[in-house]
Amino acid sequence: MTTPRLGHADLGLGVGLRSPHYDYILEHWPAVDWFEVISENYMDSQGRPRYILDQIAERYPLVMHGVSLSIGSSDPLDREYLNGLKALAKDIKPAWISDHICWTGIAARNTHDLLPVPFTEQTLRHVVERVRIVQDVLERPFVLENPSSYVQFQGSTMNEWEFVTRLAEDADCGLLLDVNNVYVSSFNHDMDPETFIRSLPHERIVQFHLAGHSNYRTHIIDTHDNHVIDPVWDLYRIAHELTGGVSTMLEWDANIPAFPVVHNEVLKAKQFVGDHLLRAETGDAPGDLDVQQGAQSVPHPLHFVSADVE
Amino acid sequence: MSDLGLSDLQRWFQAVVTHPDGISVGAESEEAIAIAPLSRNELESMVTRSEKLSAQERLSIYAQAYFARLIECLGESFPVLKQTLGEELFNGFAFGYLQQYPSRSYTLARLADKFAQFLHETRPSNDEATADGEDLHPSWPDFLIDLANLEWNIADVFDGPGIEKITTLNAEQLLDVTPEQWGAIRLQTAPCLRLMKTQFPVNGYFTAIRLADNDTKVDPPSPEDSYVALSRREYIVRRHELSRPQYELLVALQDGRTIAEAIEHAALAGGMSDDDLIKNLPSWFGAWTRHQFFVSFEVT
Ligand SMILES: [Fe+2]
Repeated sequence: MTTPRLGHADLGLGVGLRSPHYDYILEHWPAVDWFEVISENYMDSQGRPRYILDQIAERYPLVMHGVSLSIGSSDPLDREYLNGLKALAKDIKPAWISDHICWTGIAARNTHDLLPVPFTEQTLRHVVERVRIVQDVLERPFVLENPSSYVQFQGSTMNEWEFVTRLAEDADCGLLLDVNNVYVSSFNHDMDPETFIRSLPHERIVQFHLAGHSNYRTHIIDTHDNHVIDPVWDLYRIAHELTGGVSTMLEWDANIPAFPVVHNEVLKAKQFVGDHLLRAETGDAPGDLDVQQGAQSVPHPLHFVSADVE
Repeated sequence: MSDLGLSDLQRWFQAVVTHPDGISVGAESEEAIAIAPLSRNELESMVTRSEKLSAQERLSIYAQAYFARLIECLGESFPVLKQTLGEELFNGFAFGYLQQYPSRSYTLARLADKFAQFLHETRPSNDEATADGEDLHPSWPDFLIDLANLEWNIADVFDGPGIEKITTLNAEQLLDVTPEQWGAIRLQTAPCLRLMKTQFPVNGYFTAIRLADNDTKVDPPSPEDSYVALSRREYIVRRHELSRPQYELLVALQDGRTIAEAIEHAALAGGMSDDDLIKNLPSWFGAWTRHQFFVSFEVT
């Protein structure tokens, strides 16, 4: 029998650390429960990003979230990258380290996208073996997230939740359940998001992600550029009930508003826990709104830190 | 084709969604065909359709995103160059660059590393540039390359090693050196000191663009050999215009030459007499120690 959250702490309601908010955070030290940081933005930094992170690490619990592990790629694992992750973790002591169930490139290339894997026995064996290696190297709790996806492969022999479940159990790792990604992928692949969430091994879920997206009617793109819509809050309510509550974090990566707006968005989560009968009604983004024609936006926005220069 | 192994499937997928001409051409490219001999109408044998989108439309989401997000990222690396060229032209260069030098690093911080080199490699040859009878004066492509170099170096200094956590050399420490020893000193320059020589005054142009309102047009400058030192204090990159002799002196010091050797080099290369140069040294070194250009010195 596994304990809830694999025994890891419920850190509360956190926010993703993003460079437009650096100055606000340093000035106000807002009462946020915890921060999630993008590992790649700090692991090689010898400048201001790292200087700021060190100050934040002294005051808040942190979680490291990466986008370049490429756990599903057929290329060898990037040892230099793993060592960089490990070194950063040694310094800032994150509660856990996460990345995505995806691949980012092959033949030594990096598309900087989170590409989908085929859900097959071969992929499963491959990823499980690599997760074990990563855990051995990192020597810290390791957690994998379900990404948003826009295609599925004919060769898949199981559905996504089955793959995710078997992966987590066989590799003995935690799960980061991105509730918005479940909604996005389910819409894109004509699946039932609630079945997806109900089918997962709930005691392995150690973190939730929430985010906004862009609905094009024929498909949804995971743009992280808006409020969380009410149907996603409804899924969150279900996930909270099934897990007993885990660390929750809001991702806002494009058209980033002022820090209090982002913080306030994750604080709405309080409304959806405890009273399981309440349907989500935030009024901010009640449902999917049509995206303006022609305003094609980019999924999985990148986190690029621009230089400060005088 | 649904029974491809993971490695083949990934090589096929990457070849298709990163093809510059889109999914259909990508699927029929040599690389993709070698793995999966499919026509553009047979993509559904690899990727499922959804109720509302075909396999091709679904794959296109990845294809559009691939170039769009990296082009946007390059634009953030070169904001002034992008403003100078205009979005369309800049994005065209970025599109070409990503095909020539696709990312091979786990970090986006390295994405722009070869961009200035790419502009140099693809610049119109001097023959073309002089078709209207102009000579070999530095021209528009050289200006763009200078500007790209400046912006890349600013970003590199911003996130590279700095001197915020160490004590740097101050003017008083230098004054303590006896006159006999002075010429034999070697200075250790700060790791964030970057010395640049450009064919256009791009540093001044950079300032003008940043000071201008969004709708004010700033004319590109005329060619003129220019010198700038980049450094970093309190985690902010600082730009300092240099004269030619100052630049030559700092380059020689950074190379590890003694002050006496550096003065000789700077006077010769900088077109200044030794005496004039020596007269200027107190004020130059005063400013440079304030800017924290030096970490330490040793008497040899
Ligand atoms: Fe996420």
